[in-house]
Amino acid sequence: MRRILILLLVLLISLVSHALVTFEMWRMRGQVRSTTVAGYVLPSKFSSVLAFGYKGLLSDFLFLKSVTFFGERHLAKKILSDGDWQYLLTSLDVVTDLDPYFEDPYVFAEANLAWEGKVEEANRILEKGRKNRNWDWRIPYYIGFNYFYFLQDYEKGAEYVMEAASRPGSHPFLSTLGARLAYYGGKSKTAVLFLRQMILETTDPGLRTRLEKRLIALERAAELEAKIELFVKEQGRKPTSIEELITAGYVDSLPPDPYGGQWVILKNGRVFSTSKFTDSR
Amino acid sequence: MKKLLALALITFYEGIRNRSVFGIAIFSMFVFGLNVIVAGFFMRDIGKVTIDMNLSGLSVAGLLLVFFVVVNLMAKDIDRKTVHLVLSKPITRVEYIWGKYLGVVLFVFVSMAVLFMFSCFTVILVKGMHSDYFAQFSWTVFSLAALFVFLKIAVLGAVVVLFSTLTSNSFITLIFSISVFIVGTSVEDVLFFLRSGLAAQDVAVSKTLWIVIEVVSYLVPNLAVFDYKISAAHGLMPAWGQLGLSLGYGAVYIVVLLVVASCVFSRREFN
Amino acid sequence: MLEIEFCDVSKVYNPGLFKPRVRAVSELCLDVIQGEVFGLIGPNGAGKSTTIRLLLGLLRPDVGKILYRGRTSEIRSIQGELGYLPETPYLYDHLTLEELLAFCGRVSGLSPAIVAQRGVRLMDRLAIIDARRRPLRTFSKGMLQRAGICFALLHDPSLIVLDEPMSGLDPVGRKMVFDLLTDLKQRGKTIFFCSHILSDVERLCDRIGIMNRGRLLQIVGRESFVSKGRDMLHLEVERLDELQNRTLRPFVTALDDECSSTIVSFPATDLPRVADKVQSMGVKVLGSRNERLSLEDLFMLTVKAD
Repeated sequence: MRRILILLLVLLISLVSHALVTFEMWRMRGQVRSTTVAGYVLPSKFSSVLAFGYKGLLSDFLFLKSVTFFGERHLAKKILSDGDWQYLLTSLDVVTDLDPYFEDPYVFAEANLAWEGKVEEANRILEKGRKNRNWDWRIPYYIGFNYFYFLQDYEKGAEYVMEAASRPGSHPFLSTLGARLAYYGGKSKTAVLFLRQMILETTDPGLRTRLEKRLIALERAAELEAKIELFVKEQGRKPTSIEELITAGYVDSLPPDPYGGQWVILKNGRVFSTSKFTDSR
Repeated sequence: MKKLLALALITFYEGIRNRSVFGIAIFSMFVFGLNVIVAGFFMRDIGKVTIDMNLSGLSVAGLLLVFFVVVNLMAKDIDRKTVHLVLSKPITRVEYIWGKYLGVVLFVFVSMAVLFMFSCFTVILVKGMHSDYFAQFSWTVFSLAALFVFLKIAVLGAVVVLFSTLTSNSFITLIFSISVFIVGTSVEDVLFFLRSGLAAQDVAVSKTLWIVIEVVSYLVPNLAVFDYKISAAHGLMPAWGQLGLSLGYGAVYIVVLLVVASCVFSRREFN
Repeated sequence: MLEIEFCDVSKVYNPGLFKPRVRAVSELCLDVIQGEVFGLIGPNGAGKSTTIRLLLGLLRPDVGKILYRGRTSEIRSIQGELGYLPETPYLYDHLTLEELLAFCGRVSGLSPAIVAQRGVRLMDRLAIIDARRRPLRTFSKGMLQRAGICFALLHDPSLIVLDEPMSGLDPVGRKMVFDLLTDLKQRGKTIFFCSHILSDVERLCDRIGIMNRGRLLQIVGRESFVSKGRDMLHLEVERLDELQNRTLRPFVTALDDECSSTIVSFPATDLPRVADKVQSMGVKVLGSRNERLSLEDLFMLTVKAD
């Protein structure tokens, strides 16, 4: 009887000490992890061989690891050092090399790299997604967005957004956005061609009408721009106002803006409208 | 032919009734169940992660079946001299090898089919929970990938049969079979890495090493050929030609291994 | 008709990488006549099991050949009529006895009906019928031995090869096997077995072969030991020289050299033959002595003299 009691007492003591030690251990680990330098990721060549045929699973695991690392840093409100960024970038690189169709790392790259100032790096990773996830409109859209939003490269931005618009399931506003960006980027002709193609492919009548309206506006603006170019070549100076084109005899009359605005010439010689090419005011 | 089937049947019974199979099944259920939880950790590509875990679990289960149960099935016969008894009957050495292999394949197929059922069940469960993120999922590609996992295991089973005829020591059979698995999984990556490295001239490879690797690529089964896990994860249907070639490669390789094993076994002496 | 013929068979094998080679069987010449019961006895390591394995085609002879029914050296020709029982039959653990016999039947080319009929009869005879649905791993050693016998006899073979059939059996089991073998003998089957239990060998066999260190030393016929004991004659002759020794050796059991004489030992029934030989050699006989020997004594004597 006494033996059993002693045994139970020992058991109780060991269980309590286990609980206490485990609690302390988790607390300590939390501290250690917040101060640890980011781990090391084996470059893709080695990771893919060491995956032993489980590349997909390894990519999931490595991605989860990078996400938790990033999350922990945020939780501890720590700024990521260069080493940390290097780890994240290499990690995402390896993850997308192991499985280039994996959506999450691309979304992560856009959300956390691009918005944290690492736009070039984000685009580099997103390129892989664009090539491989060729059914996914979001990736070229992200790249295009990065170009026009962060890098102010409207031309390139338009290119990518237009590509996104041509992919299945894309949001209809992308076609108009693409055209607008092209126009801002000085590529009115491109915008016109793009819109013409979109109109041919669009089955939705509401969208079709909107696109056709935009096409007319851009075509007319492009016409006027061509006239202005001619004016500059022949007159050696920029026209003071859009009406001067009529008085100088380059056009008979101004074609109406389908959005109901007045044509204006911008400082850089581009033709725009007070309607801003949109129906809403 | 009937004798072959009779031996296949009892080999099947021996395999299925092995206690280890139970353990492997429990482990696989655990992996499949785990994927229900793990899938929730991901943002978008939940479908992919679910498929990754399921097919990987199936693959690991297959490997465990081959390395622990099949090796044991083949070695037991020779270790405990049961083979003496079987060969005293009017059954040829060749029939013995093919009969044993057929039994092994049947055993692996039934086990993996049952595990696949459970896997499908968890897929349906996760799909129900996160249906928005399963847009790319295709049952066809998923099933095809599982079939090719089975084929890969069948090839490894033939490797085990071959090594069992060469040595009576089950540990040696195990080590050699595992080595073939490791080399077979990596050979493609290594070969193409070296080829591209040589072309880019940033990797120095001696001529002998190159020849060795080329020879190895013809001897060892390229197991990457049976790996359609990533295609299944994203619902990307591979070309029929590619599938046909994978199937043909597997079948031919199995036949070659068994023919060699039959030859070796015919000359074998039993003490 | 000769069922089996060993013609000058030798087998050497390598036990390991750095160990010396072992002569398992040397210059073995042995016949088994159809319908007889032949027993092979010898100490451990004599080569009995190796002989059986050579017989079954599990080993290939390095020198010489084995003929089956005088025709061919292909075991396949008589495999359909051969039944084998090893010393410790390890069968498939997870199969039931019924499944094992079903397999046995299919492989032997028997129809399921015959398998069922004969199987039940055999299992009943060997008292394991109640265990037929149980997996073999639950069987005791004796039951496994009996299951092995069923496996060997299911297809009613005409040649039965047994390696230590009584080992590990309790007295009840041994009687069962003994009765079975007697029954088979009466039905005209050829039985070839090796055993340690000399009393069984004595009672069953028509001829007995004594082996030691891979060589067959002597074959003794039934008439030599059918009585309870065995008469052994010891003839004291003048000391034999080398040549005489070699000449006389094959005809006798043992030759012991003493200081001034040689003791020639042989079964009493061989007396006419030995006397002739001694006389033709011109050797002088000094004296003689009778001795009653059991098979066991003969065995020990033969082996010691080797």
